[in-house]
Order: sequence, then C-alpha cells, then structure tokens
Amino acid sequence: MKAELEAIQTEVLEQLKQIASSDELETLRITYFGRNGKLTDVMKGMGSLSKEERPIVGKFANDVRATLTEAFEKTKTALESQQQEQQLKDEAIDITLPGRKPAYGKAHPVIQTLERIETIFTRMGFQTVTGPEVETEHYNFDALNTPIDHPARDLHDTFYLTDGQLLRTHTSPVQIRAMESQKPPLRIIVPGKAYRVDYDVSHTPMFHQVEGLLVDKHVTFSELKGVLVSFARQMFGDQTQMRFRPHFFPFTEPSAEADISCTVCQGKGCRSCGHTGWIEILGAGAVDPEVFKAVNYDPEKITGFAFGMGVERIANLQFRIPDIRTFYENDLRFLQQF
Amino acid sequence: MNVSLNWLKTYIDFDFTPEELANRLTMLGIEVESIKQLGAGLEGVVVGKIVSVTPHPNADKLILCQVDIGDEKRLQIVCGAPNVYQGMFAPVATIGTELSTGIKIKRAKLRGEESHGMLCSEKELAISDEASGLMELPSNLSVGMPLTEALGLNDVILELEITPNRSDCLSMLGVAREIRAETGNTIRYPEVTPIESETDIREVTSVTIEDPNLCPRYAARVIQGVQVAESPSWVKQRLESVGVAAINNIVDITNLVLMEYGQPLHAFDYHKLCENRIVVRHAKENETIITLDEVERKLKPYMLVIADAEKPVALAGVMGGYDSEITETTKDVLLESANFQPASIRSTSKKLALHTDASYRFERGADPESVIAALDRASQLIVEIAGGTICKGVVDVYPGRKEPLKIRLRKDRVNFVLGTSIEVEEIEQTLSRLGFGIEPNQTERDNFEVIVPSFRLDITREIDLIEEIARVHGYDNIPITLPKGDIPIPPPDKNEEVRRRIRNFLLGSGMMEAVNYSFTNPNSFEKIRLNDDHPLREATQLQNPLSPDMSILRTTLIPSLLENAQHNHNHQINNIALFEMSSVFINGEEPGRVAGILAGEIGGGVYGNPYRHPDFFDMKGIVEGMLDVCGIYQYEFKHTEDSTYHPGRNAEVVFGETRIGIMGEVHPVVLENYELPFKAYLFEFDLEKITDASDFSKCFEPIPIYPSIQRDLAIVVDQALKSDMPIDIINDTGGEWVESIRLFDVYEGNQVPDGKKSLAYTITYHSATETLTDKAVNDLHDKIVQRLNTELGAELRM
Repeated sequence: MKAELEAIQTEVLEQLKQIASSDELETLRITYFGRNGKLTDVMKGMGSLSKEERPIVGKFANDVRATLTEAFEKTKTALESQQQEQQLKDEAIDITLPGRKPAYGKAHPVIQTLERIETIFTRMGFQTVTGPEVETEHYNFDALNTPIDHPARDLHDTFYLTDGQLLRTHTSPVQIRAMESQKPPLRIIVPGKAYRVDYDVSHTPMFHQVEGLLVDKHVTFSELKGVLVSFARQMFGDQTQMRFRPHFFPFTEPSAEADISCTVCQGKGCRSCGHTGWIEILGAGAVDPEVFKAVNYDPEKITGFAFGMGVERIANLQFRIPDIRTFYENDLRFLQQF
Repeated sequence: MNVSLNWLKTYIDFDFTPEELANRLTMLGIEVESIKQLGAGLEGVVVGKIVSVTPHPNADKLILCQVDIGDEKRLQIVCGAPNVYQGMFAPVATIGTELSTGIKIKRAKLRGEESHGMLCSEKELAISDEASGLMELPSNLSVGMPLTEALGLNDVILELEITPNRSDCLSMLGVAREIRAETGNTIRYPEVTPIESETDIREVTSVTIEDPNLCPRYAARVIQGVQVAESPSWVKQRLESVGVAAINNIVDITNLVLMEYGQPLHAFDYHKLCENRIVVRHAKENETIITLDEVERKLKPYMLVIADAEKPVALAGVMGGYDSEITETTKDVLLESANFQPASIRSTSKKLALHTDASYRFERGADPESVIAALDRASQLIVEIAGGTICKGVVDVYPGRKEPLKIRLRKDRVNFVLGTSIEVEEIEQTLSRLGFGIEPNQTERDNFEVIVPSFRLDITREIDLIEEIARVHGYDNIPITLPKGDIPIPPPDKNEEVRRRIRNFLLGSGMMEAVNYSFTNPNSFEKIRLNDDHPLREATQLQNPLSPDMSILRTTLIPSLLENAQHNHNHQINNIALFEMSSVFINGEEPGRVAGILAGEIGGGVYGNPYRHPDFFDMKGIVEGMLDVCGIYQYEFKHTEDSTYHPGRNAEVVFGETRIGIMGEVHPVVLENYELPFKAYLFEFDLEKITDASDFSKCFEPIPIYPSIQRDLAIVVDQALKSDMPIDIINDTGGEWVESIRLFDVYEGNQVPDGKKSLAYTITYHSATETLTDKAVNDLHDKIVQRLNTELGAELRM
C-alpha cells in the first residue's frame, strides 16, 4: 500500500507539470481526490491494514496528501498569475493615441518679456508703479526738461488728442509723478504702454517700455552701471558684456546708451549686430538737475539715475520676429509659439 | 552727417584705422552708424589707354583693343562698347579683379580671340547707372594709375549720428575737436587772410536787423567781378564725398565752408537785391517767396525773412530765394553769414516742411562767433576759384553779442556724481582739449572757473561739464558698483494682486493672452450695436491718427477681441479663446478692464477629446472661477439689457449694489458684423471694482469630524423656473445641516410633461456637532420635499 501511495505521489507530481489550465487541474484533482478518486480509493483500503501498520501507513498517507495538496495549490497559484498576466497583456492599449491635454493659455510674448524684466528689478528692490497713458505736455515733455522748441522733441512723434493732451511718448512722465508724490529714497520701475506716430516693420504706434528711477542722497553713475550690468546678466546670461556710450537725453545728464554683447554672435560681429558685436538695448543717465527742480528736489542734496528700455526690442532679441507688428495681430498661430 | 577722412585729416593728424576712429568717436558720444570705403571693389582697376582698335575677325559687334596700362604692358582686350576709339582713356579691370557688382575678371577667349581684362562702363564699376558705353577718363591721367586714385575715391566716409545737443559737431572742424580731445593733437585751422579791394563795403550795401531776438548777428561781404563756373575737381570731390551735390563754384564754396565750419552761408546775386541792401525782418501778412527749389511759399508773420528794400529774398536760415540765386550771369555776390534763433528757424522749417543743411544747424544752434571766420574763408576761396575782388570791410550787425559763460566746477562734485576718483590734472587736460578756458581758483585748488567756448551752446551748468569729463574719461572706465542706499518699502498693491491672480487663472483655463492697440475705429460702436446715446461712445479722439480706423481711444475691449476672433477665423483658426487685460479711456480716466472671448471650438480636437462648441455655461464657469480666485463669492448673475448680447443669454454680475462686469452670448447681428459664422461668448469686467470686492483674507475652517450623508433629489417643476430657486428653499429649510447642494442634471423630454423640466440635485447633509442619523436626515429631506411642493409646485420625480 505504501508503494501504491508512492506511485500515486510520483504520478501526480509528474502530471501536475503538464497542467496548462485550471480546468485540467480540476480534472486531475477529481481523478485523485474525488469521491472515487485514486487516492481516495487507496485510503479506503486503510481499514484492511493491521493495527501495527495502520498508523505508519496512515501517517505516510497524510504526508502524501499534504505534499500533493501543496503541489496542487502551487500549481493553481501559478496558473492564476499566468492567467492574470495574459489578461493584462490582452488589455494593452495603443499608447500613441493622443493625450487629453488640459487647455492652457499662454501669456503674450511682450508681456512675458515685460514680466521677466519686472521680476529682475523687483529682486533688486525696485517697486513697480504705473501712471496714466494720456498725459499732459507738462509731464511728458516740459517737466522732463524738453521744452516746446527743443529739437529733442523731433525724436518723439507724438499722438495728440483733440483736447490738447497727448498719448505719452515714453513711460518717463511717471518718474515725475512718483517724485511729486514721494520723498527720496525712491527705487521704482514703471512698466507700461507708450505711443509714437510710427508704423513699419520695426515700429508699432503702441509699444511697451520699462522705465527705472533710483533717487537718494548719494547715487552715482557707477551705481547706474552696476544696476544695469546686473540686469543684463540676469536677462541675457551671465557672460553678457555691457558697454555704455555717451548719448543725449534732455532729462538725464550725463546720459548714456547701453549696448550688450550681441546675443547671436556673442560679440564676434555678425549680421544681427551690424558686425559691431554690440546691440543697443536701453538709454540711461543721471537725473538732470532741471528734472529735480521741476519736482522741488534740491539737486545739490539729491542725485539719482534713470533708465528706459523698449520691451518689444528686448523681446525680439530672443524671438527674432521680422515684422514686430505681428505682436499685435493676436494670431493664435503666433501666440501659441511662445 | 557724413565725414570724409581725407578731408578730416587736413585739419588734424591721427593714425587710427577707420574702424578704430569709429569706435573712439562712438565712445565719445558721436555714434558712427556706418563706415564706407569709397571705391570698394575697384582694387585692380587701372587707367588704360586704348592704343589700337581693330575689328574682331569672327564677330561683327566685337572689337579687339590693344590697351596700354603702363610699365610697357599691353593687353589685348575684346570689347563690345560702341563708344570705343583709338586714343581713348578708359578704366581697365585687370585679371583677378573682383568688382563690387560681382563680376570676376578672368582670362577669356571670346569667339576665338584672347581677352586679358575688361574695359568698363560706369555701371560695371558701380559708380553710376551709366551703361551705354565705356567710362571715358580725362586724357591727362597717367596710364596705369589706380582708378581710385584717379577719381579721388581712396577715401573713407563715416556716417555720424549727432545728438541734438551737439550742433558743434556738425562740421569737419567740430569732429576734429573731438579727435583733439581724444589725442591731444593740434588742429590746423584754415589760413584766412582775405585780400580786400579799395571799394568800401559801406558804399555798396547795408544791413538792418528789425528783430534782434531772432537774428543775433548778421554779417555780409561783397565780392565783385566773379566768374560763375563749374567748381574745380577738388571742390567737387570734397562735396560729393560727403553727399552734397555740386552746383556752381560760388554755391559750392558756401557749402564747402558750411561743412568745414558748420556755419551756413548764403550767396545772393548782388544786383538782384533791390537797392542792394539787406533787411532782416518778419514776413508780412500774405507775403510769398519762391524758394530755390522753385516752390512758392506762403509766409506767416512769425517767420523771419531776409529781404531787400521791398521783398523777401530768402527764408532766414532755411533756404534762399529763387529770384536772387547765383546764376551764370552773376557778376557781383553778396555773401551772408549770420546767426538765427533756433526756435524761430525750427518753427518755420517745420511749418513749411522744409529741412535743409542750414536749418538743421540753425535749429540746433550755431556758433555766433564763427560767423566772421566762415565769411572770410568763403570770400577768400571765391576770389581764389571764381576770381573777383573783395570789397573792403565786413558789414557786421551783432546785437546779440554775449559775454562768454563762466561755470564753477568742483572736482569733488565730479567724483561725487560719477563715483570716480578723477584728478585735477585730468579735468584740466580734458577741458582744455575740448576748447574750454580754465581759470584756476587761487585759494581752492580743486575748484575752477571754466570758460565755455562759444560753439558749445549745450554747456550751461556744472553737470554739463561733468558729462564732458565723463565722456572723455570714458564711460567704460567708470567703476561698476551697486547702490548703497536704503531700499524703500513699497506699499501693498491689491490691484496688482488681483490682476496677477486673474491673469494666472485665465491662462490656466485655456485662454491665450491678447494685446491690442489702444486705438480703434469709431465704427466699432456701430458694429457692437451700442445705442446712439451709449456712454461708451464718448471716446477720446486723436488729432493726428495714423489712419481713420485708429482714430479714437478704446472705451471697451470688446471690439478688439471680436476683431481678433475675425482675424483668426479668416485664417482658418477656429478654436478661439482669448483674453486681454488693459486700460480703457473713459471721461479722462483710465479704468482697467479684463475681457475674454470664447468662440468656434473648444477641446483638443483629438480622438478622446473632440472639439465642441462652447456655450454660455463654459463662459459662466470661467467668470465664476475668475471671481473665486479673487475671493469674491457673494455675487449674482442677473439678466440685463445690453444690445451687444443675445437678449435672453446675457448676465450682469452684481456684487452688493455694484455691477462688476457683464457676460453673455454675442448678438447674432454683432456676429454678422464681424463675419463670424459661429456663436461667440464674451465677458468684460471692471478691474478696479473687482479689486474693491476682492477679499484675500482666509481663515482655517475645521475639517468635518462627523460623517456626512448624501441624498439625491429629482423634482419636476415648471420649465421657466430658475434652477436656483429650489436651492434657496433647500438652504432655508436645511439650515446648518445642508453642507452643499449640487445641480447634477437638468432634463426635458420623454417622461417629463410638456412645459415642465426635471432638476436633479445632490444634497450633502452634515452636522458639525453630531453624527446625523438616517432618520433625522430623512425627516429633514421630507420637509424639504414638502416645501418644494407647496412653494414651487415641485413634484418628486420617481
């Protein structure tokens, strides 16, 4: 009988290796463990054994049963996980189908640039202030030391309104308004729209400027250089070189134009920079004493500097749009690109 | 202004390359816009003499030329020009030359005959457009000479951008002074020693200035017996090199001296002046003058003219008169050298849109002290070139004479302003090289009295001197430091915060940011159907708009966004979701607006996320979200009257008593006006009112510790019933226990009687103090159903 049990164990273990499905497994289980199963039959013969043999064979039989049950369980688990694997394989999807992208908008490229500029100056302690776009001759010109017959007015082709006011030609009038309403020290930037009668591939009648003003008891030209070099390196990369050239603005003295090393050729000279290696990005200077007088500051006791830059121009150093009027068509194919 | 380096070198020495000079001038504040090498592309072109001309054996239209190019070299060149003849001098491009027109000269065989170069026309040399034949050269040139030398083209022209304050640099001598500041080299002024005749000028003319304010100085000389003719080639070359056209010797000399000194001059035909005298006066009412450009100009009394005894003969400082101009028959010349008030010249030149070399200089300010030097220089050149004699003396009326300006300059102030440590010696050297006089202060070594030269009209204050020192010192040599002062503390800016939140929200909800011009077309009010008396029609008008469609300032952002939609639709872009944030211009104020448009299609337009048409509630959701991020919760959507919108599909958004914005579906007629074939939805809000309503204060609310219970409620009500009316009753009945009510379905159709609709809500019940029992919730829920039934006639839908 023991031999019989051994044979069954070998037989079953052998057969389990061949099992490929849970149906087969069940059939096999019934064949051996069912009411008329082979193992059941053998067990039924236990009664005919001697008293001495019975516990020994009985224990052996239980061992066989336990071994086989465990083998069955193992096979079952293996089959199940195989099946699950198969099912998951069958559930495979085409991952190249399009994703459901949540809708998201994009900021206008000029405003993106404006915000970058603003952020840099904010980090340097400049406060953002704004002012009206419809201005008076006084704030736009006279208080900025540009009287009516000054040739510098030719540089600004002004839009006049029928009521005698004008559209500001720069954001500089806000300098005056800020100084009138606050006492030094002042450290402000003025982002905003400005207007000039100009319409071609590199000019739009409305454009954006960022004006800056720092006024305190002892502000030097070297500090103007420091602030602007710091700005240029943050804006255009830390390898950016900057040079300052003497220039003329009625409301600053000394005045400067600032160039950065060409962003295309890194200063070697190329078509973008007219083979000079430099690209003009802003105008600046020490605040002219006449401007301080216009706001009742004492120019002997207060010094300062101001600067102003065109946002479209700076934006276009990066974007290289051949016709900057494209900025204001609001073509979605254009806006999507930035 | 153009500067010829050859010409410039006659006044001052420098050994910079053109590029170095350009860089140094630029760093002095005289920006060099371009460097032009004259005769570029003419290297390898020489003067040739055609010594023999024979027909080409194999071609009728070609000729074989033997050309002498010096050094006993003879070249055979095949040529097809019609004007070639034996003995002709013509330019020869030798083998290896690359002309600026792109032609490369190689040895060639033309119809079997060798050709060793090219005889050139002016066009082939890019000298002019003349292409009808070979360029004929004067026969006194030496054969083999480089053509650039023969034509005076071995020169470099710098194009300078002179800022409006630096009128003193609008001349060769002015630029030479800048080079002196840079190098310290001395300037060679022209030697002027006019030889005068016996005739006293006072016997032949006189000058009267009626308004000394507008004419501080007027000087004249008379030169008798001149021969008007073409200028000698050196004069023509000088003028042409700086872009001034040659006219005749007298006029050319005035222009030459203008370029040299920056002092405009004018030559009159002496005998065309009535009574041979000059009166500087205002124009009379209705007076006219024909200017040199042969245009008749109507004059205004504020304009200053140069007149003779009866009529204007020149527009002072702007342009001479046609009737008194120098002609071939002119024998005697009255030469004017004067100084005029800048503002006067500027307004005349602007009014008449007449801008000349003279007006350009006068309106920026000319040096009254250079009047005589320039007059004498020109008189002397006229006698040298055109013959004649100079009458004895100068008529010099100078009512505006001024003492030289003295400015106190403190060394410490220089360094205080610039952040430098510049020494006294450098200051002295810089100022004296620029032509300033210096009186040292005996007691204070660091302070000076600086005497401003008469040509520096821009220097009136100490700060102006500091700029001079800074620019010669070199801006690049000023240290780079960071500000040391206190950083002011900015006040909180709620308006800015609202704008930032709204912008971020709208971008996050899929709308692209638009920026439009502040100008718009007055017909846009018509297009958006504003009533004739609508307050938004009161727009500010531009005096000088670029075009009629940009002639008023926007009072609303709506037309711009509709135009943007139209533009995109016209370019087959139909997924339109745009917003703009900008000021508008109303009654002298500039309130902020945020507006948006949804039109065409929304969604990704891809499998699984198809396009769909937006509707009112897409836009309403955006509006609700926008107010939510501003902390605004207590507001109402109310139907309103606004002819831009669909009358049944619009809403004003009211916070308290204030309308803060409007939204809705665009009226079909407006859509038609913008040629939009699909529905569009707009909103426009007042940013200041949003700011006033906004509330960013937040306080923690405990997370519920007791469980909540949800009950769905579907009721059938009249079709016209607003969906928020049941909500009010549910809230009112449930009190604190009602945590939220969500409308999850609206249904009309099968199973719902005509004129009725089904509304389905999920109500969440919750108590902050106890665990709600089913029974308690059921009781309350039943009470709600009952009230809905009695007050709204709502039937429970099973």
